[in-house]
Amino acid sequence: MNYLRLTMAFFWVGVISEVAYRINFFFQLFQSLISLGVAIAGISVIFSYTDSLGGWNAQEILALVGVYLLVGGIIGLIIRPGMEQFIASVRDGNLDFTLTKPEDAQLLVSIQRTNLWSLIDIALGMGVLITALVRLGEKVGAGQAGEFVLVLVAGGSIIYSFFLILATLSFWFVRIENILTVFQSLYEAGRWPVSLYPGWLRYGLTFVIPVAFATTVPAEALTGRLNWQTLVAASIVALVLLVVSRLFWRIGLRRYAGASA
Amino acid sequence: MIKDSGTAPTVDIKDLRKLYMVTQQESGAGAAVQSLIHRRKLIVPAVDGISFHLDPGEIVGFLGPNGAGKTTTLKMLSGLLHPTAGEVKVLDYIPWKREKAFLRQITLVMGQRNQLVWDIPALSSYELNRVIYHIPLDHYRRTLAELTDLLELGPLLHKPVRNLSLGERMKCELAAALLHQPQVVFLDEPTIGLDVTMQRRIRSFLTEYNQRFGATILLTSHYMADVQALCKRVVVIHHGKLLFDGELAKLVQKFSEYKTIIVQIGDCQNNMADYGEVVSCEDGRITLRVPKAQTARVTEQLLADLPVIDLLVEDPPIEEIIDRVFAQEKA
Amino acid sequence: MKALIELYIQQFKTTLAMMVAYRASLLIWMIGQVLEPLVYLIVWSIVSNNNGGSIGDYTTSQFAAYFILLMLVNQVTYTWVMYEFEYRIREGNFSFTLLRPVHPIHADIADNISSKLITTPSMIVVAVALGLVFHVSLAPQPWAIALFFPALFLAFAIRFFIEWTLAMLTFWTTRVGAANQTYFVLMLFLSGQFAPLALLPAPIQVLANILPFRWLISYPIDLLMGRLTFNQALIGLGVQAAWLIVSFILLRVVWRAGIKVYSAVGA
Repeated sequence: MNYLRLTMAFFWVGVISEVAYRINFFFQLFQSLISLGVAIAGISVIFSYTDSLGGWNAQEILALVGVYLLVGGIIGLIIRPGMEQFIASVRDGNLDFTLTKPEDAQLLVSIQRTNLWSLIDIALGMGVLITALVRLGEKVGAGQAGEFVLVLVAGGSIIYSFFLILATLSFWFVRIENILTVFQSLYEAGRWPVSLYPGWLRYGLTFVIPVAFATTVPAEALTGRLNWQTLVAASIVALVLLVVSRLFWRIGLRRYAGASA
Repeated sequence: MIKDSGTAPTVDIKDLRKLYMVTQQESGAGAAVQSLIHRRKLIVPAVDGISFHLDPGEIVGFLGPNGAGKTTTLKMLSGLLHPTAGEVKVLDYIPWKREKAFLRQITLVMGQRNQLVWDIPALSSYELNRVIYHIPLDHYRRTLAELTDLLELGPLLHKPVRNLSLGERMKCELAAALLHQPQVVFLDEPTIGLDVTMQRRIRSFLTEYNQRFGATILLTSHYMADVQALCKRVVVIHHGKLLFDGELAKLVQKFSEYKTIIVQIGDCQNNMADYGEVVSCEDGRITLRVPKAQTARVTEQLLADLPVIDLLVEDPPIEEIIDRVFAQEKA
Repeated sequence: MKALIELYIQQFKTTLAMMVAYRASLLIWMIGQVLEPLVYLIVWSIVSNNNGGSIGDYTTSQFAAYFILLMLVNQVTYTWVMYEFEYRIREGNFSFTLLRPVHPIHADIADNISSKLITTPSMIVVAVALGLVFHVSLAPQPWAIALFFPALFLAFAIRFFIEWTLAMLTFWTTRVGAANQTYFVLMLFLSGQFAPLALLPAPIQVLANILPFRWLISYPIDLLMGRLTFNQALIGLGVQAAWLIVSFILLRVVWRAGIKVYSAVGA
């Protein structure tokens, strides 16, 4: 309950600091529309030469793009900004202020910043997703929707843990702000079903950089491709990563307290 | 909230040590590549066995040259660093465990950093701290009103922090750090970079805060004026070791072997060097430095020999004494 | 001139030391540089195989060759000045740069070339490995190889001037994200990063011929893939030279105006 209150308080601060830059709403809208346009243009060029890509038709790929935008929006809204600020705060020493606060440091670090305008991506992603599903004529039952939400939450948790692990590395390597930027270009690979990729890359995008769980798996749930093994695997991976990232975070903190100046 | 207030010391450290492992990197491309393969490591003691304690409600100056270990000690006291050895207790808590109950009662202010969110008014950052510290709304309003009054924050609270001057920002920082009415306040160079007026205002605020809330304050500063105005007692460290712990006046007595005599006479005379070391001579106002033991004799002689208009015996400026303390240590 | 050479040498040493210090982030950055073309390579290979082994006059293995070469050309011509500039202005570091008695672009050029000298060898290794994995065969004409290097150099120079000019938008507004992204999208489709230009709709191909982007990426690739006649190749070099002049003039003009704005409000 208190966590929710804290999150809202931080979100509110984000709102206040961003309304000063209202113009950013239009910038972000513009950028989001552009990246949507790029995705659609790409799909239409590719599907002018083929009917299916790894067993997915154009509308199904569009649904995947919707999930891609949606999850990208979630990452941009709440996951990435906090981690970026955390990495910066290790470098400039402002983390000390966070650590002297009487609240769990991982929580504070995770929610300390939000990027309001990413809500646009989330809205756009949902719009694309719904459009694609309607055009597919797919009937999404309650069961399927439930599965979708479940794997989406699992995917979000996996990405969050992954970001946390990457960011925690900054306790050892001071300059790694790049690390998050690069995630973005790896995330691009999630615009396509991971089943397209050769084995080593598929495994890489599933288990090393868990893009597959964030995009392909939820899209599978909506297009009736999800089997129960994947569902269980996603849930287990999510739980394990949450625990592992938490442990790693604590090791990092211990190191920070032990060796930093 | 405080356990055994009045009897137990607020801050208690015994034989505190902190060692750092430092990797050495030399400049130049060749050395950079070489450091990939092999790095030289050094163990540097930042804090090398210091002990002292603070009683509730004390304001103590924590002095030492750059790199003496002040900030490291403050960080160990506020729970940011884990000591290598020794014992630290603050309000009977072990700081590095960073228990919430402990963190709610302390604060750390660093003059060279800021915790306020840059793009928004300070007031919004305060609201955030209210939630983080679970400050009840009426408490919060009252404390904020008091702090606003003491620091004259009224017109600043609604401006984005980035638009504030350095001094204004520091005032807002202080308020943010004190909203939860901490029992223990650690201040690391709170007046650094500020002009003299602003320094003075912050000093008087700290005195006021200390009296009103009975908080214990440990303060580092490069400005001796801060220390003289605020602290009866000082703790001096150098190279991680404790040099002095006691009243500021005693520090002067202990380390100052000289006194300064200022005499006002008609004009500068050539033979002044006979009386002591001439520091300056301007418009018949002569400043002499004289060994402490000879002060009385020299004063008498000056009065007997010269047409003295005015005569003043002073301790040398505290900066000079501190400088001498550290210089002696080095030798 | 001698001072400039010394500056470049000194910058090389600094860059080298920086890259060693930040080797972890360097490695991650390179993974990103490889992955993007690789994804397109894979997608197009699948489409090509679905289509019976080729699309237009690109066979599956030619797609592989195309995107691997793209990776290399992009590696050589890539710049990060647009991010760097925004950071500099925001942090107020740019004023220091202006105090130096040498135009700030030199430090950027030197830094860029230095880091490329260091990272390119490993990119070539990656490219060769990918070439083996995807069974790529290339047999360019000797003249094409001879022309490839000046073409690559010109591509780098034009891209550098264009992106440095765009980066200067920061003088006018600190919110340059939208402009940058528009540029990247144009780059993606019109330079041939998304697909060989010949596969895109005709209007886009026309646009690609008018705008500078294809001369930054697609043209050097086409040279090595033997898709240009000798005459076409020479014309291409001519067009590149023209764009070099245009972009250089643009850079100068924008710099003059920008520095005026910056010194009026920013510094």
